Amino acid sequence: MRELLPLALLGGALGLDVVCFPQMMISRPLVAATIAGAFVGDATTGILVGATLELIALATLPFGASRYPEWGSAAVVGGAIAATLQMDRAGALTIGVLAGLATAWVGGWTLVKLRQFNAWLARRQRPALDAGSRGAVAGLQIAGLTADFVRAATLTAVSYLLLFPVSYATLGVWSFGDRTSRAVVMGLAIAVAASAAWTNFHSARGARWCFAAGLAVGLLVLVAR
Amino acid sequence: MTLVLNRIDDRLIHGQVVVGWGQPLDVRFIVLVDDAVAESEWEQELYRMGVPPEMEIRFHSAADAATRLDEYRMEGQPGILLTGDIATMRALVERGGVRDVNIGGIHHRAGRVQHLRYVFLSEAEQEALRELATHGALVTAQDVPAARAIPLNELLGAREDA
Amino acid sequence: MPALTWVNVFSRLLAIQGSWNYENLIGNGVGFCLEPVLRQLPGGTHGPAFKAAISRESAYFNAHPYLAAVAVGALARAELSGVPAERIERFRTALCGPLGSVGDRLVWAGWLPFCSLLALVAFGLGARPLAVLLIFLLLYNAGHLALRAWGLHVGWTRGLGVASALANPVLRQGPAHLARAAAAIAGVALPLTVAHVVPGRGSVLAVVLIAAALTAAVLVRLHGRVEGYKLALVLIALFALVSVAR
Repeated sequence: MRELLPLALLGGALGLDVVCFPQMMISRPLVAATIAGAFVGDATTGILVGATLELIALATLPFGASRYPEWGSAAVVGGAIAATLQMDRAGALTIGVLAGLATAWVGGWTLVKLRQFNAWLARRQRPALDAGSRGAVAGLQIAGLTADFVRAATLTAVSYLLLFPVSYATLGVWSFGDRTSRAVVMGLAIAVAASAAWTNFHSARGARWCFAAGLAVGLLVLVAR
Repeated sequence: MTLVLNRIDDRLIHGQVVVGWGQPLDVRFIVLVDDAVAESEWEQELYRMGVPPEMEIRFHSAADAATRLDEYRMEGQPGILLTGDIATMRALVERGGVRDVNIGGIHHRAGRVQHLRYVFLSEAEQEALRELATHGALVTAQDVPAARAIPLNELLGAREDA
Repeated sequence: MPALTWVNVFSRLLAIQGSWNYENLIGNGVGFCLEPVLRQLPGGTHGPAFKAAISRESAYFNAHPYLAAVAVGALARAELSGVPAERIERFRTALCGPLGSVGDRLVWAGWLPFCSLLALVAFGLGARPLAVLLIFLLLYNAGHLALRAWGLHVGWTRGLGVASALANPVLRQGPAHLARAAAAIAGVALPLTVAHVVPGRGSVLAVVLIAAALTAAVLVRLHGRVEGYKLALVLIALFALVSVAR
């Protein structure tokens, strides 16, 4: 568990990117899980988990006021667990993705709590804000950023600490083969991504034909390889 | 098709409406009912920029809209009826035959209490919502399609700390 | 706007959502970003004009975080030009929705999935992890940072007349073009990604793609009432349980 502290700090930084700063999408699962995998020595495994989570994440649009999963810390947990468990063992990808999804779901709840905490702080500062205090404005901003980093780092640490032993034990009694395990997870991820693509893009004129043409190209490339 | 959503949202046109609801329901037009916006060219211009070119937006005052809703219900494509406050929606329930009301966002202002993370209501607004229900409207709160539709009684009973 | 002030405001824009909350959403962030500009008001930071402006600008505001730069630029211009407070407040309110809607369509539903799917194509074609990450991050952030910089510039130069800037073809037609491009890239990315992750060829791949297409059709028919990630979480958890129990 020597990796716990660096992973928590990484989860904190990438979780902060989801909403607060700097929103450069280093928190996207494809990026975050790959970096986490590299952190524990296996970027290739990290990116397999990241790509799978990225497909699923395509269906969640982060509209400001709605509740959505927190992918940054989640992908760090999922990528690190799968990379540590060794990807060549059947079930490792499945378990990494599952850990990522569970953390993302809890992470969405922690974001709601963070926003409630920020509102509480803002209420306490209301008289100063009404009086035009620039210190109050900057203070609220810094407090919110700090709280979000602490939230994401704590989420990553707790989730990794709880899920790693469960994942390790689960992998020991995993009964499906590697190919079946990957096929099930990928099938679901592709289904979620395809429905998201349809929902997001179908209203643009010609988008359906573009998708069909792209699919034909993709399948041709597969056949040709 | 018809008006597939009758929504109260003080942000009027924004992402949850245009993308969150608009895309899965394949919405082709929005009827924005607001007395102030109906009179203001520059505000209409701004809101027009907020919807995609393939989506139409029509502006009405509450009085005007009440007489036009039957016409909109006959349209061949799905649309959204949108008001920025409860009073305007109440006029449409009473005079325009609206039967389902979605509360999508009423945000913080002095004198309002938080019920959900996206619904803050004053005493008068709570009473106005009850009156909508007594006029036969089914009132629920739901910000995006994937969220649960929360019935009015549960909404009014809920208290959250922001 | 002096260059140093511009840099100060632009860097603060990256943290505009730092205190996001359910009461005033990104309102405090707008005040935080505007603060370096408002120091130029008569009387400086201790003057009544500065204090009134800070109070006004840190009230409720909601918009897409990138396009909020347009509002920050326009409000900075309005405040320094001495536009009456009532007009500024009305303008501020009217900007929220359109900037949110345009940004959500252009970025969250367009540019982000486009870049993400393009990176997945590279992944599916066997590119190294570092290359996949660089493709995604460099492409995405070229658009992201350019949009913020454009927003601040156009808001500042046009002030209260910024509505016309939202008629920019990139904002009006961009989402539709991006949707078509992303749809095409999605078509390429999905089978390549499956083939890269699932070992072997032929029948397994065909079964995965057909099952995925059927599940996707069900999800589409549900009109967004079921969240894909929750469905995936439940079904993968069930699969893991079966694998452990049998």
